[in-house]
Amino acid sequence: MGLFLSIKTDVIIIGGGATGCGIARDLALRGVPHQLVERGDFASGATGACHGLLHSGGRYAVKDPDAARECIIENAILRRIARKCVEPTGGLFVRLPGDSKRYRDEFMASCSAAGIETSVLSPSKALDLVPSLNPTLEEAISVPDCSIDPFRLCMLNAYTSRHRGGGILTHHEVVEIIQEKGRCVGIKARERLTSQIKEIRGRVIINATGAWGDKVARLAGTSVPMSLSKGSLIITNHRLTNMVINRLRPPSDGDIIVPNEAVCLAGTTSIPVPDPNALEIDPAEVDIVATQAEQMIPAFGTTRLIRAYTGVRPLLKPASPSGDGRSISRGFQVIDHGNGMFSILGGKLTTYRLMAEKMVDVVMAHFGIKAACRTAELPLEGQDELSGYPLSKRLSSMDDIVCECELVARHTVEHAINTMGTQYVGDIQHRTRLGMGPCQGGFCTYRALGIMQDLGRVSPEVSITILKEFLQRRFKGIRPALWGDQLREEQLIESIYLGILNMGSRP
Amino acid sequence: MSESLYDVVIIGGGMSGLMAGIYLAGKGFKTAIISRGDPVCCLSTGCIDLLDAGVRPLEAIVDLPDGHPYRLVGKKGIDAALKVFRDIMAFCPIPYVGSARHNREILTPIGTFKTTCLVPRTMEASQGCRDEYLHVISFAGIRDFYPSYITSKLPNTGFSLYDAGVSSTLAIATRFEEAGFVDEFCTWLSSLEIPPGRVALPAVLGLVNPMAVMEEISGRIGRDVFEIPTLPPSIPGLRLFRTLKKSFQDRGGDVFWGKPISSVETRGNVVEAVTLAASGRPSRVQGRAFILATGSFVSGGLYAARDAVSETVFGLPVEVPGARKDWFLNDFFTHGHPIEGSGIEVDASFRPRRNELENLFVCGSILAGSEIMKHHCGHGLALATGLKAAISCERALP
Repeated sequence: MGLFLSIKTDVIIIGGGATGCGIARDLALRGVPHQLVERGDFASGATGACHGLLHSGGRYAVKDPDAARECIIENAILRRIARKCVEPTGGLFVRLPGDSKRYRDEFMASCSAAGIETSVLSPSKALDLVPSLNPTLEEAISVPDCSIDPFRLCMLNAYTSRHRGGGILTHHEVVEIIQEKGRCVGIKARERLTSQIKEIRGRVIINATGAWGDKVARLAGTSVPMSLSKGSLIITNHRLTNMVINRLRPPSDGDIIVPNEAVCLAGTTSIPVPDPNALEIDPAEVDIVATQAEQMIPAFGTTRLIRAYTGVRPLLKPASPSGDGRSISRGFQVIDHGNGMFSILGGKLTTYRLMAEKMVDVVMAHFGIKAACRTAELPLEGQDELSGYPLSKRLSSMDDIVCECELVARHTVEHAINTMGTQYVGDIQHRTRLGMGPCQGGFCTYRALGIMQDLGRVSPEVSITILKEFLQRRFKGIRPALWGDQLREEQLIESIYLGILNMGSRP
Repeated sequence: MSESLYDVVIIGGGMSGLMAGIYLAGKGFKTAIISRGDPVCCLSTGCIDLLDAGVRPLEAIVDLPDGHPYRLVGKKGIDAALKVFRDIMAFCPIPYVGSARHNREILTPIGTFKTTCLVPRTMEASQGCRDEYLHVISFAGIRDFYPSYITSKLPNTGFSLYDAGVSSTLAIATRFEEAGFVDEFCTWLSSLEIPPGRVALPAVLGLVNPMAVMEEISGRIGRDVFEIPTLPPSIPGLRLFRTLKKSFQDRGGDVFWGKPISSVETRGNVVEAVTLAASGRPSRVQGRAFILATGSFVSGGLYAARDAVSETVFGLPVEVPGARKDWFLNDFFTHGHPIEGSGIEVDASFRPRRNELENLFVCGSILAGSEIMKHHCGHGLALATGLKAAISCERALP
């Protein structure tokens, strides 16, 4: 156990997904001191493993009108406050031959009731908008779906927190919740690489850890009722559509395709899992998603898939929860454990801001402070500074390219390393798009680690360990979708690491 | 359409195809090599890996599974193939050292050692380099070479950085062939106060005549110098390919480069011709015998669809290790992902076993059961099976 540091604050937020970061921003805007602790990088749980879809609410309109209404309201708010991480693509619900016309009528009526604007497009109009669509479609209904960058969204929420007195610790895992006289008064968090322990004391702890909610609640001697379900998605190596494409039928596997930067994401599956830390993607899941996506956009069948990924939906158990839980909406729930810890569970990326608002309202009531939520009015701060790394910028600095797939230059990588002082190659990837292209970091991660060595951020010994972990993690995502050109590339990558560099081991 | 007739048409211009071509052209057969592009050996270390099994690789051949192509070639055949290769290279600017009887170790860019068998003489002094002080030279801005990986792993080492004004391996190698550059570099190197021992550089000592460059440097500083193979694109791999291709052409062989095969013609059990796609003017290449040396997945001899593996020229039946979920192990680093075993099964004369074609021979990494990553046997297997298939082909030709 390493050096012991101690921090004091009012609110401790555990979890650096959209919800946790949203809570941090909300607290910052209401002037409440807080400290956020995240085990990995931002968005390393379900936030970063979803479609990146800013729902119009259409997907939920028939089954869950309340959630649909929440979505369309939040959709409008985020398009206003988060311009730089929302791409207003618009979305289509496509009805293919054999899809129920009755569901379509029900869909239109439910959207109208929820306040979701729709318009019906003929096949030729739909094909004009998205030429890659299945030409046999019966019709398409447009909705205001958008593509959203979940990672940047977290960064921007955290930005406000950081600039208004909040503290953010990524790569710190909560190992203990300190309890005194039956109340939670703080946490101990361990830094991932150094194992250094920090102690943080606060008046209230918010558990915003999504699928890990129960594990964290148990550290505080309580529990939350959850049922975990994994959803797996696939990524194509180019952008097959400029609009979000949904299948017009009751929600099912593989019925959503979302364009994101230069790629497309398709998913998902829904399979119960016992443990959010032990996720595997079955190649059969990839087949299901690819086959379904292919029905909407036939080119999915022949396009190279760069990898698959999976996240865990933190769904609430339907039974009424123990403790002083009170339902705020069908989609999510705030639980007061009555011991200084609150959990916020369920919900979806689109409603993260609303979830944060409701959570902070509860904390404010608990503290007896009156301060109104302002997160819906104020645009996210730092959007120009953190506006990602658009292709235009990348193309203007073509010399010294480190990542050929995504055109990331050495000075960009150095800038990311220097400004963050990071030791984590994943942090660089998230912030520069290094390694996000077809080779999935097979070539450039080794280089990024070399640059970190040059800058004295990481020792060569540690960088080999990081490289190994990275390659293992990378392979886990690639393996279920390995065929065609991606398999060719993979064999080349193997020949580098297992052949030229001799990093392999005998079984 | 242009037409041409050959005794032997080799499909695939990699190590095994070139080996077969050099042998057959050398025997006076009218031989052609068809290649879709430059082969994957350009991405390799340039070293001939034979078998990663202790110091005496030939002795370990018998321990390989029955279906391994090395078992079909046999110890003597493998030994002979490596000798033939070394003889070919002896007359080129890049001689190779070593023999099939002994493995050796070379230093990798991350400070590990890799077992191989024959190496270009520019890497000869890599063997045993951990026994004395080693000074690593790197070049400013080079992307795939970070000497700190080596210096942190080996105790008795140091490094210096030279600015060649360019940063890609290919550009640096080109500089080493410019008049005056070696002299400039040696002057700089001599000015460093390096403790006694050896000097290592990434493999960039020129494309055409690296031995001359290395000997000049070595002579000027009075110590052993060697190259460390780098990540793709690899200069030693490129040199190896260019040298073999030239050797083939020097023996009268014809090359059809950069043209994919659009169709094949068979009559009964005989392959008669292949047609090459070319904009405007396709060419039809006829042969009395054909050798398939198109490689495995990376080079495109095999193609894995979502649920099946196919051979891309003749549509030969392919041995595949189970369903897609079984193609790869869960652990990236464990040797022996089952997919590596897929390929074409051949008989003792290297004809496809599950096919009736009489004048078709198969060699190289497309052979079933090769498991090249698992055994580290890539170029060795290419040379041994390339020679063996060529000899079978020679015997079959009237």
